[in-house]
Amino acid sequence: MFRGALLLVLATCTGLVGASVCDVRPGHGSIRQALASTNGCDTIIIHGGTYNEGAITIDRAVVLLGQNWPVIDGGGAGEVLVVAAPHVTIQGLVVRGTLVSDMNDNAGIKCTSVSDVRIIGNRVESCFFGIYLSSVTRALVADNRVIGDSTADENRRANGIHLWKCSHVDVLRNTAEHHRDGIYLEFVTDSHVGNNTTAYNARYGLHFMFSHRDSYTHNLFHDNGAGVAVMFTHEVTMTDNRFEHNRGASSYGLLLKEINDAHIARNTFADNTVGVLMDGCNRATVSNNRFVANGWAVKLFANSTAAVFEGNSFSGNTFDMTTNGDLVLSTLRGNYWDRYRGYDLDRDGKGDVPHRPLSVFALVTERMPYAMVLSRSLMVNLLDQSERLVPTLTPATLQDTAPLLHPPQGPESRTIQRAELERGQRTAFPLSLCASLMALLSWWRFNGHSIH
Amino acid sequence: MWKVYKYTLLDLARNRFAIGYALLLLLVTVGLFMLEADNTKALISLTQVVLALIPLLALVFTIIYFYNQYEFTVLLAVQPMRRQSIIRAQFMAVSTALLLSFLFGVGLPVFAYAPGPIAWTLLLTSAALTLVFCALGMLIAVRQRDRAKAVGIGLATWVFMVLVYDSLLLWLMFSFSDRPIEPVIVPLAALDPIDLARILIMLKIDLAALLGYTGAVYQQFFGSSGGMFVSLVALLLWIQVPAWAATRVFTRKDL
Repeated sequence: MFRGALLLVLATCTGLVGASVCDVRPGHGSIRQALASTNGCDTIIIHGGTYNEGAITIDRAVVLLGQNWPVIDGGGAGEVLVVAAPHVTIQGLVVRGTLVSDMNDNAGIKCTSVSDVRIIGNRVESCFFGIYLSSVTRALVADNRVIGDSTADENRRANGIHLWKCSHVDVLRNTAEHHRDGIYLEFVTDSHVGNNTTAYNARYGLHFMFSHRDSYTHNLFHDNGAGVAVMFTHEVTMTDNRFEHNRGASSYGLLLKEINDAHIARNTFADNTVGVLMDGCNRATVSNNRFVANGWAVKLFANSTAAVFEGNSFSGNTFDMTTNGDLVLSTLRGNYWDRYRGYDLDRDGKGDVPHRPLSVFALVTERMPYAMVLSRSLMVNLLDQSERLVPTLTPATLQDTAPLLHPPQGPESRTIQRAELERGQRTAFPLSLCASLMALLSWWRFNGHSIH
Repeated sequence: MWKVYKYTLLDLARNRFAIGYALLLLLVTVGLFMLEADNTKALISLTQVVLALIPLLALVFTIIYFYNQYEFTVLLAVQPMRRQSIIRAQFMAVSTALLLSFLFGVGLPVFAYAPGPIAWTLLLTSAALTLVFCALGMLIAVRQRDRAKAVGIGLATWVFMVLVYDSLLLWLMFSFSDRPIEPVIVPLAALDPIDLARILIMLKIDLAALLGYTGAVYQQFFGSSGGMFVSLVALLLWIQVPAWAATRVFTRKDL
């Protein structure tokens, strides 16, 4: 229905400017012929069916519009669709059949040195690279499903959505799974990555380097081999993303290396081995994020300077924060820590004594990871308690001067309110238990007396 | 033997201390769950309390009960029955009472508030710990004539296992941190029944953190069915060996 209406609009538009629409059906003409035809043919409608035409090069401005999911099968010859002209739109196709190669970056849909490309609503299945943009300006990659071969070895996989030396690209609402990196950007500037889902990739869900002034919002990265790793970039904005279930020895919800002036806000980090690792990051603002049930919520390396942590909520993590040096040049203020044991006499919602999120045991495990075997033992608890009373081993500067007593407003606080509502019902159980116990005891005593 | 077991158990059912033990556990457990909004967090706190409390109380209770029952034991010993049966029946009765108290005090509320794999692991390992320390208590009690001395030794044993052993382990890690002692640490930790129980529970709670770095070692050792089997055998040995030793000492003892 929607597709038909779109078609109608497109047909009208193209009709207005005097362009024409060609149809390609299985057995009736080929995509290559339609592309090669010289009499206009600005929009090629490809009807459902399978097209085995090898690698197809699109060398003029054209709209390729799939109807009923036509399958464009490259037949394992190399690339499948190669865009070599500006103003090309590819929509509604199923693309498969690339050649896995160590020499060439073969991709399902590849655009090189062009501009104004739109790749919308395609399914790229079991390709080596999925969608590959190189030296492209002004492009839209949206609503695609890029699903790799889940049975392939890591070195037989490549990136789902791969951008190299691009600028002004929007990557929106895509799904990238079972590739090497879900979304990969290198030398990509002034671009936006939003509302995407990347999962089950062998390496990173999102991976970018040297990609300045980009923003990443409302994405979901989960169950990727090594989480998300971003490096050597400045002025990055990452907000409202979710980083979940990235577990493993070198797996991170978000690994930041040499990132300057980053703005990281309102993200959720849940159930990762390491929530955020900051290595050589300067002037980062980390605010209003939620860190829930991670092994290490934040690993802040001492080579990071002037980071500001504000309004974040830490709950249920094995370790809230660790660092690897004595000097910490970052600021913590107004965060919520579920381990905070202070008080709030003036009732301004902020604790009157500072919170020190770094425990001695965290420092010990930083030096000797195998000391984890002693986690949650009485000895370790005593060690942490004594350090809390008389801090000697942990860096004195790493403290939250105004810790929040209650978690900041957010989805979590809603669940807590619900929990408190349920608590009314929950008290009923222990009360009845106690009552039955008393009854039992009195019966017992009564029996005892009657015997003697 | 079963007759002795039955009457000892009946006697224990009237024992104030056994009832107090159950009530104390119930109070602690329900209190923790009511104080903490998040049930998983309450369960984690409970784990720490239970892992320290259960060995202590099981040990002290077994020792004291053995001395309280001493005259009855002597009376039984002159009857035409094997000494082995007497001590076994007593051990089984005391451990049954402690297990029932534990199931009532901890098991019931835990399954009401936070059923799940953590709860199961907590219950199973703590039940095993109850048996271990019951057996150890028996061993200490039959070896000593003086009740105060036996309690002292019991307390020392508890402090050693709950605190000193871990400190020694940490000291070992620090002193040999330059050497590859990583493979030794896990088996060494598993030698202490309290540590073994704690690690088994921790594998369920701190899995995300455990998967970092050394996680592989833990996963391989404890996560696999083989590792679980080894842990189980270790705990069973900790029950069997002291119980056997206690029986042996008791059968040769001049009462």
